Amino acid sequence: MTHCDPVAAGRIVAGGAGVIFPHPRAAGFLFPPAKRWGMNARMDGKATIAASADKEPAELLAAIARGDKAALSRLYRLTASRLYGICLHMLRNEAEAEDALQDIYVTVWRKAALFDSTKASGQTWLGVLARNKAVDRLRRRTLPTAPVEQAEQIADDGPSALDVIEAAEDGARLSHCLDELEERQRGLIRTAFFEGVTYSDLANREDVPLGTMKSWIRRGLMRLRGCLER
Amino acid sequence: MTDLRSLTPDDAQLAAEFALGLLDGNDRAQAAARAGSDPLFAAEVARWRGRLAPMLDEVAPVAPPQMAWEAVDRATAVAAPDAPANDNVADLRRRVRIWRAFSGGATAIAAALALVLLLQPPVSQAPAPAPAPRAQLAPMVASLASDKGEPMLMATWDPVSERLIIAAADDMPAPSGHSHEVWLIPAGGSPMKVAMLPGSARMHMQVPDDIAEQLRRGATLAVSVEPAGGSPTGLPTGPVIASGALETS
Repeated sequence: MTHCDPVAAGRIVAGGAGVIFPHPRAAGFLFPPAKRWGMNARMDGKATIAASADKEPAELLAAIARGDKAALSRLYRLTASRLYGICLHMLRNEAEAEDALQDIYVTVWRKAALFDSTKASGQTWLGVLARNKAVDRLRRRTLPTAPVEQAEQIADDGPSALDVIEAAEDGARLSHCLDELEERQRGLIRTAFFEGVTYSDLANREDVPLGTMKSWIRRGLMRLRGCLER
Repeated sequence: MTDLRSLTPDDAQLAAEFALGLLDGNDRAQAAARAGSDPLFAAEVARWRGRLAPMLDEVAPVAPPQMAWEAVDRATAVAAPDAPANDNVADLRRRVRIWRAFSGGATAIAAALALVLLLQPPVSQAPAPAPAPRAQLAPMVASLASDKGEPMLMATWDPVSERLIIAAADDMPAPSGHSHEVWLIPAGGSPMKVAMLPGSARMHMQVPDDIAEQLRRGATLAVSVEPAGGSPTGLPTGPVIASGALETS
């Protein structure tokens, strides 16, 4: 399933965006080295993050919750490339990714108090926020003409949408546990995660009955949880 | 509440499905309500968000456009900014007032444009040293109307900063599986791709040189319905839903 492969997806983003937005300033970052971090790289990265870089987003989020505007600016400098990369990867449109990015940091400004450093790292919380915003936009794209209130309702996962609980070993274990799944299960979970698609979207895409799709993914998710908790 | 019990396997599964975003319509609304009222269920959803989040680390970082921060900075301004507007921005503000006064049906567009003006960069950031002025340097405006004459979007073009701003009067989602694409139609020429219109139907962009050149001469802007992701041919393939000519004065 090529649409699940981050390397292939990176290429699609680069090519598509290049055609849509061919302005010279963009040319430098249209072709990022979309690398797939192996497990070792990820573990190394995680160690570094835990040691220094990630302490900072958490502290900055606490300062932002107290209304410290300079902290927001610093957090942006520290994290915007990562979050913009996520938006661009998911939305595959520069203008929309930029809108989403702005939306993310405005939300950070308003809702930083919801971040709880005892439950998750700052980077993880911001990543979840970025994915939420991108998924909202992906869903709105596919809506037929509908009243605004309805669109808002569909986009809203409620006040707890920013609750994140991270186990210390999650980062290191996830890629290992994903690798243990059947290729099809892994591909479907990745597609749902990055493309914001539902059971019925996936069933249509793969041209299988809804019930079949549900049982494929459910088995994958439960196996994933079993592995993560081992 | 019910904190002492543990989640049933079905509920644990539902939490995973909800966190991953697999649920539709009613199922989704019910799970969201449950997450808001049942701490045990909410915690399992939160754990799934944490479990899945490391997938995001696989995505390569990309430097965002410079002006993205400027918009955040403005939207989160602590005190009201009192920086003097540059002439072009002042002129656009004046136009907004004119629009409000004279085009009753277009008030919403004027309001949208007024909002977009908040995204304008401060004077110090704006004009890159411009090449010798060859053509029109005053801002130009186009009202993009449907074929029934109903105004749908407003476009403003600032030749000094080379920014194009487009804002819809109202939500205008593209039909399912389709996107809206913005085109420039030079006088007597064939359409040129400008950009995909985001779902918010509000965009601002720094335009590439070839487009800027045409905009300076005055051209028509149009929005068409295209397959998701844009026209496959490089020319409009779907119906044009709104168009209008850029004008000064």
